[in-house]
Amino acid sequence: MIQDRSQPRMTRRRILASAAAVPAVGALATPAIAQGTLKGTKLTVLAGQWYVPETNTMLDQLAAELGRDTGMDIKIERFAGDELMTKTAAVIGSGRGADLAVGVEFDTYVYAAKLNDVTDLADEIGRTYGGWLDAAKATSVVGGRWKSLPIGQAPAAWNWRTDMFRAAGVDKFPDTFAGLLDAAKKLHAKGTPIGMTLGHASGDGRSTNYPVLWAFGGKEFEADGKTVAINSPGTLAAVEWYKEIYQYFIPGTTAWLDPDNNQAFLAGKVSATVNVNTIYLASRAAAATDPARKNIVDNMEHGQWPSGPAGRFACYNINVWLPFAASPNKAGQREFLKAWYSRAFLPKWTKTGQSYFIPQLAGFDAEDVWPSDPKLKIFKDLNKLNRLPGYAGPPSPAAAEAVNKYILVDMFAKACTGQLTPRDAVAWAEKEYQQIVRRRTRT
Amino acid sequence: MVTDIIDSERALGYLLVAPVVLLLLALVAYPFFVAVGYALTDRTLADSGVFIGLENFELLWENQIYRQTLRNTFIFTVGSVTLRLVLGVGLALLLNESFRFRRAVRAAILLPWIVPTVLGTMAWLWMFNPNFSVLNYILVQTGLMTHGFNWLTNPDLALFSVLLVNAWRGVPFMAITVLAGLQAIPQDLYDASSIDGAGKFQRFRYVTLPLVMPVLLTALVLSIIWTFSDFGIVYGLTKGGPMNATHVLATLSYQTGLASGNIGEGAAISLTMLPVLLVLIIWQLRRIRRSTTM
Repeated sequence: MIQDRSQPRMTRRRILASAAAVPAVGALATPAIAQGTLKGTKLTVLAGQWYVPETNTMLDQLAAELGRDTGMDIKIERFAGDELMTKTAAVIGSGRGADLAVGVEFDTYVYAAKLNDVTDLADEIGRTYGGWLDAAKATSVVGGRWKSLPIGQAPAAWNWRTDMFRAAGVDKFPDTFAGLLDAAKKLHAKGTPIGMTLGHASGDGRSTNYPVLWAFGGKEFEADGKTVAINSPGTLAAVEWYKEIYQYFIPGTTAWLDPDNNQAFLAGKVSATVNVNTIYLASRAAAATDPARKNIVDNMEHGQWPSGPAGRFACYNINVWLPFAASPNKAGQREFLKAWYSRAFLPKWTKTGQSYFIPQLAGFDAEDVWPSDPKLKIFKDLNKLNRLPGYAGPPSPAAAEAVNKYILVDMFAKACTGQLTPRDAVAWAEKEYQQIVRRRTRT
Repeated sequence: MVTDIIDSERALGYLLVAPVVLLLLALVAYPFFVAVGYALTDRTLADSGVFIGLENFELLWENQIYRQTLRNTFIFTVGSVTLRLVLGVGLALLLNESFRFRRAVRAAILLPWIVPTVLGTMAWLWMFNPNFSVLNYILVQTGLMTHGFNWLTNPDLALFSVLLVNAWRGVPFMAITVLAGLQAIPQDLYDASSIDGAGKFQRFRYVTLPLVMPVLLTALVLSIIWTFSDFGIVYGLTKGGPMNATHVLATLSYQTGLASGNIGEGAAISLTMLPVLLVLIIWQLRRIRRSTTM
């Protein structure tokens, strides 16, 4: 763990003082709970492990300082990967075990009835930081009320090797899907293929495949979120494009789980893949002692998704704070959230992540949170692209189930591998979507 | 009053067995009946739902992924248990012979069984890795193949791969259990059959097999139950992919019930295992009762 000793220690007094110095902060700056009234109360926060270790340390520090200053006993419980989801489900089911949790994009819709209304806090935070981006509202507003608070989104970009592209006669990352197909052919011929995740990878499966669907004009649902719209000429065009480019991939992408594209890229086996900035950050951290990693750092760039017939889209993983309604410490919950979104904490936490997770707040464009490293500059623009699964409907439980069951990923994979024709693969996906909706809407 | 109970053999019997019964009711019966109740509702994680009878099961039967999962589960179980049986019995027969370092080898054989599932699965994940498979590396370097196998990429091979890892993990249990049965066979029987002119195969067929059969059947039934409900190996290796080719009932139930919050349907999926497991358990219990009353 690397801690920045040059930064002043974060204390609750400093958070409040800093917040009070900014008039726009409003109620975020005001300790709604008089000092001492939280003394002796308990607050359990469920969290995972963010890939940038320092961001985890900052959460621990925030909890420790807030606990010290309020007398609240704050405990951060960490769970690896899917365990956090299981634990959150258990807390929702039993109404016991935690007060707050880090959730993902669909959780707000899935658990809305079991979450506290935090609309007033969301409004204050919005006012403080120039308003929420649409992706934030789409994630956290259910029935017109904010039932969670967005932490941020992790923009996924095309990680590409400039040296390998140049060797194949491609000077810049393609800006169209036809261009990407052409580049994939050339790179394959040079023995440096690209790779897109077509396996049951919970993060990369989504961020890699949904943008392709949308770029060709495909969508899962109509705006009502109930009418299945996957069987369309746009979807078919996306599947056909995928089937064609798949022959130029590195073999094995239908079995790729989340770590596999990182490993393939780091080993120089693929010249391009879709990922967040962690490949680059990990390589940069090791570059001083590892010449192979230095070579990657020197010869990689991040590119945005190509533009398709329907436009340019991206699909990012989103984290939110889930305030459990069954929590006996609602005041503590709110105090923790205020500290998290304070000016003394959130911009600094964001900067530490170096565009790994970026709050979906419009005012962050002007904040000092963006990394100075030129190879990470693109993430500021990528932050505005996000679209959520379930489009043109909301990220509903039906959309969540389709993601969790990898329906879209498998639709592409079935066509790519020849298990089904593109038309049959789309028809298969349509049937799966219809069954999901039928189950979800029978009551 | 207390002395009356102690004096009454029947009452004392009930009293002594009560803690176990209560424990079973709390830890086995209650969760089971709750699961059955959930399967008959459209309960989600955020909503207690309403009674819908057998609709969950009807909808499941119409679902292609569920039917594929059912098929996968049976292939996975039959394949893995067959491998466990053949390799486990073979290994037990070998370990029953005298050779140098026999004790050390017996201890080493247990390793796959002792190693935590996740750890073993991670090691296999590397060995099957689509791009860095050490198995493929060896096959290619030794000139046996030009490209290696698509262990987890090819749908059929992926199912075989997860089945293989499950068998790898289960063989030690089968081997050690059968070995214990073999060692309980008195040497006199072998000596007597040799005097009667029995050859090696006949000694195995008429002495070893009948006497080791009770232990073998117990190990077999337990293996079927454990394999049928396995979760960790499949989830760790493939998460049910590629294209649901390795989904088994336990992973689909998790994906539906917990990941998607569809508790009722998830419970219905897991209850699919019930009839098969119930038949096995009843058969096993009847066999145990028969052997103890003989």
